[in-house]
Amino acid sequence: MSRRFAIVTDSTADLPDEWRQRYAIEVVPLKVLFGTETFRDRVDITDDEFFRRLEASNKLPTTSAPSPGEFAEVYRRLAKDYEACISIHIGAQLSGTAEAARVGAESVEGFRVDVIDSETVTMPMAFLCRVAAESATLDEASAAVKERIPKCRVLALLDTLRYIEMGGRVGRAQAMIGTMLDLKPMFLVADRQIKPVERVRTRSRAIPRMIELFKADLPVEHVGVMHGQAPDEAEQIAAGLRREFPHLEVPVGRIGCVLATHTGPKALGLVYIKS
Amino acid sequence: MVPEDAVGVDGPLFKRALLGSLSWLGANHEEVNRLNVFPVPDGDTGTNMLLTLQSAVEDIKESNASEVSKIAKLASHGSLMGARGNSGVILSQIFRGFARAVEGKSSLTPAELAAGFEEAANAAYRAVNKPTEGTILTVAREAGRAASAASAAPDATVPRVIAAAAAGARAAVLKTPSQLQILREAGVVDAGGYGLQIILEGMLRTVEEAEAAPAASAAARAAMSPAAQASMALPEGGWGYCTEFLIEGTALEVDLIRNQIEALGNSVLVVGEPELVKVHVHTDDPTSVINLAGGYGKLLKLNVGDMSTQHRRILEDEGAPPRAARQNGIGLVAVVAGRGLVDIFQGLGVDAIVEGGQTMNPSTQDMLNAIQAVPYDEVILLPNNRNVILAAKQVLGLTGRKVHILETHSVPQGVAALVAFRPERNGVDNMRAMRAEADRVQTIEVTHAVRDTRSNGLKVKKGDVIGLINEKLEFTGADYVDVVNKALGKLGPDSYELVTVYRGDGATEAELNKLESAIKASYPGLEVEVQQGGQQHYPFILSVE
Repeated sequence: MSRRFAIVTDSTADLPDEWRQRYAIEVVPLKVLFGTETFRDRVDITDDEFFRRLEASNKLPTTSAPSPGEFAEVYRRLAKDYEACISIHIGAQLSGTAEAARVGAESVEGFRVDVIDSETVTMPMAFLCRVAAESATLDEASAAVKERIPKCRVLALLDTLRYIEMGGRVGRAQAMIGTMLDLKPMFLVADRQIKPVERVRTRSRAIPRMIELFKADLPVEHVGVMHGQAPDEAEQIAAGLRREFPHLEVPVGRIGCVLATHTGPKALGLVYIKS
Repeated sequence: MVPEDAVGVDGPLFKRALLGSLSWLGANHEEVNRLNVFPVPDGDTGTNMLLTLQSAVEDIKESNASEVSKIAKLASHGSLMGARGNSGVILSQIFRGFARAVEGKSSLTPAELAAGFEEAANAAYRAVNKPTEGTILTVAREAGRAASAASAAPDATVPRVIAAAAAGARAAVLKTPSQLQILREAGVVDAGGYGLQIILEGMLRTVEEAEAAPAASAAARAAMSPAAQASMALPEGGWGYCTEFLIEGTALEVDLIRNQIEALGNSVLVVGEPELVKVHVHTDDPTSVINLAGGYGKLLKLNVGDMSTQHRRILEDEGAPPRAARQNGIGLVAVVAGRGLVDIFQGLGVDAIVEGGQTMNPSTQDMLNAIQAVPYDEVILLPNNRNVILAAKQVLGLTGRKVHILETHSVPQGVAALVAFRPERNGVDNMRAMRAEADRVQTIEVTHAVRDTRSNGLKVKKGDVIGLINEKLEFTGADYVDVVNKALGKLGPDSYELVTVYRGDGATEAELNKLESAIKASYPGLEVEVQQGGQQHYPFILSVE
């Protein structure tokens, strides 16, 4: 291994397994709690089982950041093989994970950890990990990652308002989307905020609208399609984008259960980093 | 010199105090969770703090250490390993600061205990990137200050210092809404701070038990339930779950069921017939309601919603905090009637409703008044009925405000247009987008003929069920289901995805259920959503898109 610094992220990066192996990226899982049962994100529970429980439950499961101690253990282990570490995490407006990583890093003496609040969630974080992996030094990696943070975008189409309303993470935006009608809301995660950008009543009209909004943000450096139990629609969107933009890779990924707790089933996301 | 009979805090006492905190927080953490109604990172604050505290005492349970420093160190390590959520992480830092302050000590005097509380708060402040007042940090600091003041008194004892810390925490918790706007808007106190208050009260309960003569006032305060304290800062009506369902059975006694449900919650609505009863209640204990109702018959359409978000919306609607001004400076006014429809239109952002519609056409003056009442200089007006459009147009020129009239002919057109409204788009762009959506939706209206007539080639007898598509009489039929099926067949269900059914006053809940099932059976490709419209004259209005 030529790289002298380690790369750490958390499970909400929805890092594809292949990248994780190729770039030797360490993933620390967040947790989902159904009552007293704890599951590690992307480790202990299958998608089918998770969504079955989510839909059957009248109360949202709670989600939980890794503890500072868990981060400290990971950093201590990496300190044996690496000189330093970049640790890229879910936006602090969404989770206490980056804060826990920072506190954990402070307790490991003599090992430099650059903790990065990515301000975003899901695959843009994975793109940032790849940017870091392709850097020669930790300083270069940190600079390259930080430069891209303001350009990360997540366009999310939800099948129902139920979960994001119950999760309480959209703040005052709820006033805008608050209604008895079953709307298909679309949100943009950017600038440390979750902004409602569109609301439509049917899914078949929402998807082309999402793609339209993405195209208005071109050019992009990376783009991917995320889904929670909607693989066919995600593949269709990705195939369309690959046809139209042959130079882009357009990976398709599935969201982990921590994120899915707030999106609910059948969520779709267009995620990208602007050039 | 420490008085001879004074009890210091040694290892065993601190261990008992922490176990006391754990059991008191365990008994009250749901109370803390209920305060957790604004966007907080990572789940329920009460649960997160409880799990963190559990982890803090895990190793302590096995320890017989006589030195307080050893117990404090175990708590610091355990809480760091198990910290969950922001409040949990801060709690772990509080334990860490306390452990550092008491390092090497076997027992603490009241003054040393107070100094430990203060150092715990300092450590918590240092751990946070951007400390925010009105949170657990403030509560920790005020608890430390109160403890320190109490320890300076000549007759200071450990229970009095802890009682002072708990009282300081309680006072700080009640002040948190004045420090944080988000709490003020939600009408709650800070959850993390309240959790810390409970932890200190748990300690107090333990040391008072250990004391022969507990300080009476402190005991009385500690005995006051946390709910009673929190309710000082909570809005009326409390929190809970909006629980709704139908009971299907035989010879159901509506009054009896209502009386029993009323004992379990508020905002109770129990209506219906002996075969089908609709129940709506706000309760803290939906399980009991469901169990009770389940004894009467089969439950249908069970829906339990967390009221925290709904509650905040209600506060905003009532103007408790003024609604944030809309970015584009455009107000929305709609003409509509029927309780449910009014709610739906308001939920979609309409600022002023003009009551009216099919037979009760509002005057130009009514619409003008509504336009003037809206706090915006530019207004989009939705007439939602062809007969209202002309009167609406008269408004132009009568007001200094810039008024756009979106000529919507029906409720479904109005709803479709409002869904497309975006607060960041200007008036012209909004009008274009809203017009396009309104034109896309198909309207089916179902009613009874008020007289014998012949229209559109159809012979209609008074009382017949008739169906209109986009205001044109198309069908007569034996019943609602028959007419709706014909209308959907004519529109060609393959071109559509979603049918929204608005039930009017003229149709019963049972008729609504029957219609919903029938549409699903005949057109399995369509999604069906039902809403209580409450409109007059039309037992059913359907939106097809």
